[in-house]
Amino acid sequence: MNIIICLKQILDPEIPVRDFRIGPDKREAVRGNANLVTNIFCENALETALQLRERTGGKITALAFGAESAEDTLRKALAMKADEAVLVLNDGHPHPDPFTVAQVLAAAVRKIGACDLVMTGRESGDWGSGQTGGLIAEELGLPCISFVDHIEARGEGTDASLFVKRQTDNGWELLNAQPPLVVTITNNEFNVPRIPKTRDIMISARQPITKWTLEEIGVNAAEVRAGQSYYEVVDLAIPAKDVACQFVSGDTLEQKVENLAQRVIEVTRSL
Amino acid sequence: MNPTTTTNQAIIGSDFSGISYPTREVLWNIDNVWLMYVMFAVSSVIAGYGIYRRVSLWRRGLPENRFDRPRYRLLMLLKHALGQRRTVREKSAAFFHTFIYTGFIILTVATTVVFLHHDFGLPLMEGDFYLYFQSFIVDVFGALVLVGVGIAAVRRLVLRPKKLVYTDESLLILAMIFLIVLTGFLIEGWRIAVTFDPWGRWSPFGYLVASASLSLMGESIKSLEAMATAHRITWWLHAIIVFGFIAWAPYTKMIHVITGPLNIYTARLEPSGAILKKIDFENPEAPLGVKTLTNFTWKDLVDFDACTECGRCTSVCPANAVGKELSPRDIILDLRNLMHAEGLRIADRGQFWLPIADLKRKNSAINPQSASRIGRNPQSVVGAFPSTSPEALWSCTTCGACMEACPVFIEQMPKIIDMRRYLVMEESDFPDTIQEAVTSLESRGHPFRGTQSTRLDWADGLDVKTLAGARDAEVLFWVGCGGALVERNQKVVRATAQLLEKAGVKFAILGREEKCTGDPARRVGNEFLFERLAKENIDKLNGYDVKKIVTLCPHCFNTIRNEYPQFGGHYEVYHHSEFLVMLVNEGKLKLPADKLENSGLNVTYHDPCYLGRHNGVYDAPRQLVQISSRSFVEMKQNRENGFCCGGGGGMSFVDEPKDKRVNQERARQALVTGADVVAVGCPFCLTMMEDGINARKGERDVRVMDVAELLWQSLI
Ligand code: SF4
Ligand code: SF4
Repeated sequence: MNIIICLKQILDPEIPVRDFRIGPDKREAVRGNANLVTNIFCENALETALQLRERTGGKITALAFGAESAEDTLRKALAMKADEAVLVLNDGHPHPDPFTVAQVLAAAVRKIGACDLVMTGRESGDWGSGQTGGLIAEELGLPCISFVDHIEARGEGTDASLFVKRQTDNGWELLNAQPPLVVTITNNEFNVPRIPKTRDIMISARQPITKWTLEEIGVNAAEVRAGQSYYEVVDLAIPAKDVACQFVSGDTLEQKVENLAQRVIEVTRSL
Repeated sequence: MNPTTTTNQAIIGSDFSGISYPTREVLWNIDNVWLMYVMFAVSSVIAGYGIYRRVSLWRRGLPENRFDRPRYRLLMLLKHALGQRRTVREKSAAFFHTFIYTGFIILTVATTVVFLHHDFGLPLMEGDFYLYFQSFIVDVFGALVLVGVGIAAVRRLVLRPKKLVYTDESLLILAMIFLIVLTGFLIEGWRIAVTFDPWGRWSPFGYLVASASLSLMGESIKSLEAMATAHRITWWLHAIIVFGFIAWAPYTKMIHVITGPLNIYTARLEPSGAILKKIDFENPEAPLGVKTLTNFTWKDLVDFDACTECGRCTSVCPANAVGKELSPRDIILDLRNLMHAEGLRIADRGQFWLPIADLKRKNSAINPQSASRIGRNPQSVVGAFPSTSPEALWSCTTCGACMEACPVFIEQMPKIIDMRRYLVMEESDFPDTIQEAVTSLESRGHPFRGTQSTRLDWADGLDVKTLAGARDAEVLFWVGCGGALVERNQKVVRATAQLLEKAGVKFAILGREEKCTGDPARRVGNEFLFERLAKENIDKLNGYDVKKIVTLCPHCFNTIRNEYPQFGGHYEVYHHSEFLVMLVNEGKLKLPADKLENSGLNVTYHDPCYLGRHNGVYDAPRQLVQISSRSFVEMKQNRENGFCCGGGGGMSFVDEPKDKRVNQERARQALVTGADVVAVGCPFCLTMMEDGINARKGERDVRVMDVAELLWQSLI
C-alpha cells in the first residue's frame, strides 16, 4: 500500500487569545508570537497511515505545500516514521484558497506517482474550511471518503480493497472501497498522534527532503500566485468574549433553584 | 593474681616471675601456629577473589571522572567515612553502628599490634601501651561491640522497622560478630585465670570471665587444666570464625566496609542540583539513557555494591511515604543483585587491568566502545523489577531526599532519571499528561498546555521593561513559566517586581523572548529537548551579555546556575529570596519600624527541594519570613530533611491517585504546626501546597504565600 499523506503547517491554534494577531489588511492572521505547528487532523491522518502500514506494509510519503518552514512539519513526519518527504515551495504567496492548494497537491501527487491512497486531515486548525481533501479527489478524478476515523486493508493483490469507517452525524458508515482513492481523516481515540522517539528525531534531522517549485510540478505558478481566485476574504476579526457574573438569590434552596432555572431560560431565550 | 605477690606458679608455661613490666605471652598455650598462617592465607585469597570479582564488575562501567580535587575528597573521607557524620544522624542506628564500627577498628588495630609484636619482633605488647590500650581500651571496645550487636539484634528481631531488608545474611553477620568477640573474651579470661596474669584486672571483661571460671570450678590443677583445654579449643574456634568472616565478608553487604569509604571518596562534589549527566547527541551510537546495566558508569556500579541496606533512602522518600511503588533502596538492591547475576555470566577478566586513566576519561557520559565490549545480551533493567517499573520511575519527584539521607553517598535519583531517559527517548513511553507538557514545551516553549496567560500578563499596569528595550539593565529578572503563566503565581511575580522597583534595582525581563529553562524536560528524561531549550536560552542570554540573574523559581535557579555552565552559560544567579534579603540588609528596602502588616500571623516555611536540598539555600527565605512576620514556626521536617511538595521532576504535570498525593501529606505536616500562613519560595510548591492545604485545612483559615508576597505585604 503506497500512501501519500498531505500535511499542513499552521499557526499554533492553542495560544492565548491575547496573543492572536491579524495583519493590517484584516485578511490574514499574522504570526506574532505564535509558533508553527502541524495541523492536528493532519497528524491524526498520519497516525492512521502509520497504523495501516504497520498492518499491511508499504510506503508513506509525507507531502506539504508551504513555506521553507514547513520543513519542520515534514521532519516531524519523518521522525514519526514516514518513509519519504516532499515539500512544494510556496514562494511568498500569502493564503492560497483550498482550490489552489488542492490543485498544487494533486499535481505533486501525480508527480510522485504510484499511490493507492491519498490522505488529508478533515480540516485545518487555522481556516477550517475542510475543502482540500475533496478538491484533491476532484482534481485527480478519484473517489473521496470524508470524516474517516479507521481504515483496514482487505484481500491481496488485485482483490485488495479497503474497509473504511466514517463518522456521520448519527453514527458510522462502514464502506468497502477500491483503491486508489482519497480519504480525509478525523480524530478518534485510536489515532492520537504518536510522540516520535528521540532517536528517530535525531535520524530525521539527517534525512533528505525533496523540494519542488511550482514550475517543477507543472502548475501555472502565475495563476497560483494570483490566488484567491474563487473567493475573497474581506474581513477578519478576533471574536471578543464578554464575561458577566450574576448572583441568583432566594430564601430557600428550592427557591434558589427555581430562580436559577428562570434565569437560565431568560438568558437562553434572549440569545 | 596480684602483681606484687606472684606466688602461684603458672601451670602451663607462662611465667611472670622476674618480669617487672606489664605484658603477656603472645600465643600462649597454642601449638601448631603455622596452621593459623595457613588459615589466614586461605581466607585472604578467598576474600581477595571476592573483591577482585566486584572490582572487575565495576570496571566494566562507562568512564566518569571522580578523582579530581583529591584534597577535598580526602576531607570528605575523614568527615563521612571516619567521622560517620551521616550515619549518626539517625539515633537508633547511631548507637549500634558506632559501637560495632569503632569496636571493629580498635580490635583490628589490636590484632595488628599482636601481629607486629610476634612476627616482626616489635616489642609493642609491653608497658603502659600494653596496659592501657591493648588491655583496657580493647576490652571496653570489645564489650561495646557486644552491646551494639545486641541493639542491632533487638532492632532486627523485635522492633523490625519497615525500612530494613530482612535477610539471613544480616543475621548471620551479626551472629558471627557476636561470636568473634564472645570467644575473644573467653580465651582472654581463661588465659588470665590459668596464667594468674598479674595484670589481668586491666582487661576487665576478660578478668570477669577469669574470676567467674575460677569461682565456679575452683583453682585446682584439674580445673586449671580444663580451662587451658577450653582455651585452646576456643582459641581455634575464634580463629576459624574470624578467618571465615574475613573470607565471607566481601561476598556480603559487609563489603560496605570497603565500598562505603570508596563511594564517599568518589562522591559528587557539586551541589546535587548539578548531578545529571550530559548526553553526546553528536554521536549517533550514543545510548539515550540507561536500558541495561552496561549503560551505567563505573561509579553507578560501585554505588550498587556500597549499599548497606539501611533503608534510610526509602524511609525519607515522599513518594514511598504516600504509598507509591517507588523505593530507592529497592532500585539499588535489585540492580546490585542483577549486576552480580549478570556479571558472572558476562565475566570478562581482561577488564580488571584497564588503566585507571580509562575511568577518568573526560567525556563522562558515553563511550560506545566500552559499551560494546561489555554486554552480551544483558537484560533490560527498566521494568525488570517492581522497583524499576515505569510506574515506580514515574513517581519520583527528584527531590533528592534519598541522596541526602544515604550514609554512603549513593546517587539514587540520577539513576531514576537515566532510566526515564531510556523510556522517553528510546521508547517514547511516558504518562499522557507528561506527554502533553512535553509537546507544549516543544512547540510553545512552556509546559502549560492550554494556558490563556501570556508571559506579560502579570505586568499589566506596571512599568516593567524588557531587555530588548533596556539594554543597560543591571539585573535580569527571570520570571519563569510557573510564575508567568499560572494565575495565582502572577501575584508573586508582581510582588517581586514591585519590590525590585522599590529598591531601585535596574532590572529588566526577557518577556516574550523567555522560554522554559528546560528543567521539566530534563527531569522527565527528555534530555534532547532540554539541551535544545538550554542552548536557545543561553544564546539569547549571551546575546544580551547578561551577567546577573534573579529567578523567581528554584527550578530555573538551579538549571541556570548549575546546569547551564555545562552548555557555556555562566552567570551570577540569585533566587529572589536571596536577592531580596540582600536588598533589606543593604537598607534598600526599609520596613516600617512600628507597624507590621503581618505581625500576629504565625508563619511556617516549606523548603523547596531545588532551593534547599539541591542548592543549600535555607536561611534567606527564613530571614524574609522573620523580617516580615516576626512569628515563625518550623515544621518537623525542615531544611535538608524537608519533605517534597510533590511537584518536582515533572510530577506537577501528573495526576496522582487521590489517596496517594504527596502534597496532601506535606500539607498535613504544615497544618500540625498551627501556622496561619505556609510560606514557600517556589511557584510549583505554591500550587501544590495550596491544593493540599485547601483539601485538608477544613474550617481553618490557612493561606499559602510566597516569601516575596509576605515581604511586599509588610512594606505597603
Ligand atoms: S529523589 Fe525523592 S522522590 Fe525520588 S527516589 Fe529520591 S527520595 Fe524518592
Ligand atoms: S542506598 Fe544508601 S540509604 Fe539507601 S539503603 Fe542503601 S545505603 Fe541505605
